Amino acid sequence: MSSYQPGSVQTRPYVDPTPLPDDIPKVQELGVTSGPLKSAAFFIGAYCKEYNEDFMLCKAENRDPAHCLKEGRRVTRCATDLINKMRENCLSQFQEHWNCLERNNQEYYLCRKPERSLNACMFEKLGLTKVIPGTPQGQKPIHEVESPIFKAIQK
Amino acid sequence: MPVPWEALIPFGLVTVMFGVSGTLLNVSTRAQNLGKPIRHNIDNWDEMMMRRDEQLTGHKRGQRDDPVPPAGFETSSVWQTEKTT
Repeated sequence: MSSYQPGSVQTRPYVDPTPLPDDIPKVQELGVTSGPLKSAAFFIGAYCKEYNEDFMLCKAENRDPAHCLKEGRRVTRCATDLINKMRENCLSQFQEHWNCLERNNQEYYLCRKPERSLNACMFEKLGLTKVIPGTPQGQKPIHEVESPIFKAIQK
Repeated sequence: MPVPWEALIPFGLVTVMFGVSGTLLNVSTRAQNLGKPIRHNIDNWDEMMMRRDEQLTGHKRGQRDDPVPPAGFETSSVWQTEKTT
């Protein structure tokens, strides 16, 4: 057997044999899975724009993981902050939207109705709008088109 | 002339067989995906996110929206490696 076989029963709690040195600040990772993240994606883009751009520019300089730890911590903290705010203010619309995404192969175009209510709630409570960067100038962004061509089969 | 009902038996058989196999397939795929439809057109990004979902919830299609991860999440990723020397 040359591939990794996970054990079926954990006899002892796992202790990391090579933890990070103590002078690196510890940040709790984001425990949100892919569906809610996809639902919150454009709002993370609107809320955490500077931190995300900093991180990407830093990575563009040097792909070494140790080089961008600080920017990475900032990105994680900002995203965690936004998820907490979303859950405080718009929990039901958020859950409705990501449950819809999960049932539909995580495609945005099949879940426009819950998306509209989530966008309205986010704008009202937190002032964040979903902006699709790169929409051509005169065109309406696809999430605002009233009768799109690609849509769900049933109403 | 009476209706040739024996000729309709194959129609009925074929319909039932299609129906049963389709239903079984649907039930089987939904059971494997926690009651949700199957995910198609999965690319490397989606594979990576589903691996992360498995670390967080224990199943590839499991979802949670709690920002606090379960204990041990930071060290639970598995890297497939091979010995080259």
